[in-house]
Amino acid sequence: MTVEEIRGSVGVNNNNNNNNNNEIDRFPIGMRVLAVDDDPTCLKLLDGLLRKCQYQVTTTNQARTALKMLRENRNRFDLVISDVHMPDMDGFKLLELVGLEMDLPVIMLSGNSDPKLVMKGITHGACDYLVKPVRLEELRNIWQHVIRRKVESKSQSRSNNNQERQNHDGGPEAGSGDPNGKVNRKRKDEDFEDFEDNGNEDDDPSTQKKPRVVWSIDLHRKFVAAVNQLGIEKAVPKRILDLMNVEGLTRENVASHLQKYRLYLKRISQQANMVVAFGGSKDPSSYMRMSPLDGIGDFRSLSGSTRLPNAQLSSYPPSGMLGRLSSATGMTLHSLTTPALIQPTHTQNLTGSVNSLNKFQPVVLPTPPNHQPTSLLQGIPTSFDLGQLQPSNKPNNTQLPDFNPIDESRIFNGSSTFPVSSSSTFLDVPQPIGDGFNNQLPPNNSLNYCSNTALINMIADTMTAFGSSITTTPSLPLEGQSQRHAQYGNQSYGQYSSNGFSGLAAAAPPSSTGGLGGQVSQSNDGICGVYNRSNGNGALAMQMNNKETHRSNTKLKMGSGENFLPSGFVANNSYDSLDDLMNGMMKREQDPTISMDGEFGFDPYSFGSCI
Amino acid sequence: MEQNHTKRQIKVTRNSLFEQGYLDEQFTQLEDLQDDANPNFVEEIVTSFFSDSTRLIRNVETALENYPLDFCKLDDYMHQFMGSSSSIGAKKVRNECTQFQEYCKARNDDGCIRAFQRVKQEHATLKRKLEAYFQVSL
Repeated sequence: MTVEEIRGSVGVNNNNNNNNNNEIDRFPIGMRVLAVDDDPTCLKLLDGLLRKCQYQVTTTNQARTALKMLRENRNRFDLVISDVHMPDMDGFKLLELVGLEMDLPVIMLSGNSDPKLVMKGITHGACDYLVKPVRLEELRNIWQHVIRRKVESKSQSRSNNNQERQNHDGGPEAGSGDPNGKVNRKRKDEDFEDFEDNGNEDDDPSTQKKPRVVWSIDLHRKFVAAVNQLGIEKAVPKRILDLMNVEGLTRENVASHLQKYRLYLKRISQQANMVVAFGGSKDPSSYMRMSPLDGIGDFRSLSGSTRLPNAQLSSYPPSGMLGRLSSATGMTLHSLTTPALIQPTHTQNLTGSVNSLNKFQPVVLPTPPNHQPTSLLQGIPTSFDLGQLQPSNKPNNTQLPDFNPIDESRIFNGSSTFPVSSSSTFLDVPQPIGDGFNNQLPPNNSLNYCSNTALINMIADTMTAFGSSITTTPSLPLEGQSQRHAQYGNQSYGQYSSNGFSGLAAAAPPSSTGGLGGQVSQSNDGICGVYNRSNGNGALAMQMNNKETHRSNTKLKMGSGENFLPSGFVANNSYDSLDDLMNGMMKREQDPTISMDGEFGFDPYSFGSCI
Repeated sequence: MEQNHTKRQIKVTRNSLFEQGYLDEQFTQLEDLQDDANPNFVEEIVTSFFSDSTRLIRNVETALENYPLDFCKLDDYMHQFMGSSSSIGAKKVRNECTQFQEYCKARNDDGCIRAFQRVKQEHATLKRKLEAYFQVSL
């Protein structure tokens, strides 16, 4: 990668850089740094030092202000330097949030050089850790983190694409570092954000267009089972493929799916971390703060017909994915002490899952379109016992069964309601169902903050497995949703989190009854995600809505047999960050001190234990 | 001649601050940052330090009056104090802060109180000296 290319890529992001071209061309000069430190003396020193390096400095002594600035426009800064020890927010918390929402490099600053803290910084995703007093020489080099991040994300995106195209077995799917990566590096001149939209239909002439594979719930379940069997560390596409034993599925399909899955898990774990970090604040506004608002902003609507309202979908994914996790891993969100806790996690999860889901490539299902509806979470352990989480869901439980007089006995309770708010074009959350449902709304809060694309994609993916296509109307105004749902925040949130596929389920249920408010208009199989939340069986059942009697006005249309998703999905623009996150996550998994993350792997202990 | 004398005086004063251990090379960094764009950088940052640290000192004093001593909070304050004093190169002050933190860790009431007295002392001394220095040099 040439210096010009790097600069160019950096410059592309300098939308607000009024210093304009001169500085962009002379990167790292003019690099925009946001410095956060509650100590005025240190802040002033930082300011002076950074200016000496000819960076463009913005300072604030409040973490919240910093977050606000970043959320307003993540492209306004290239790098964040933050003190660890701050009164209004823990520096590590800020670090995580920034990493999750904005994917900016963050450097930690502390008067304390305790290795434990340094380690914590690393595991939370900091790209560097400086000890006060800060020296000029140290700051002169920090621009490398900006470049490195760009390089890594580009190479990872590229390498992902390449991996899917070529028959490379195993290898470091988890990110960069395979031989293809080098090929990818030559393409660094492209703005890495372009990757999102390209997905796989990329510019590699050697790729032949394969029919898209749809990752149905069933298929995904097999995938998860295979991964769990192998162990997340050892799960390589080839072996997963063998274990799954699905005709027509290629190693590349599995590889890309695996990558997304990993990213998703990473996000979940991070979000779980956030939950813990944030404690049990039940203030919806607090969630809003914490939630990745930026995700919404960054949310790219799916192209084509697959537009899912951000709010709704985002609420689903994490749980959905979780549902798929083996019981051992299952994110036992319900084990969280309070629903409130779940919320932030949820938000984060959504973002994460959404992001990861975004990358999911629809896979052509070997199975016939009129797939029998299967419970999404058949056999999946009841980590999603929503009952625990949300006593209020009980009413929902009772009601839901009425909703879907479908073959499957699974019922989508409560959870489905949440993303589908009445206003949402997405699944109509059956609000009328009762209080329990209302509680579910909150995910929307988080939804707003998550990039829903991925989530939608995921849901769509699973849905399509059943031969129905999920079309989603353009996203709702997330703000409105979040506001509306803000009140519901805590409880439903918890529900969602535990409902792996709540999102999916949500798509299905008819809203009128407050069940799966989804206009599942499948001709063949509506995919009606039904979560058996309340029943403690924890099975998040994905009901196939073959006969969707309760078609609500949910906009979530389950098309018939079309794999709309594939076309529609726009890669999450935070994809790059996901890779980073994934690396971060991997680290976190290994960090014993980080309780939340450990379970991310597929060990047979509930995810909740990480909380 | 007068000017040279003053300049020399300034230099001597400054050097003595270093030699006596009141300041360390971090202070030199501050001086390096002072330029045409930031002509009063050193004085500004030192002033900021003293106003902030005075506030901190008051907080610590209050905390030291509440028994049983909240060592966590005290340690917190000291951490902050250390951060800012090291940022301007206030060597002696910082050392005394470290002492204080040791006593905090040992949960030694008396030790803390005594250590804090020394912190205050060094703080006051430095303030005096720097004020004199700035008067002469600016």
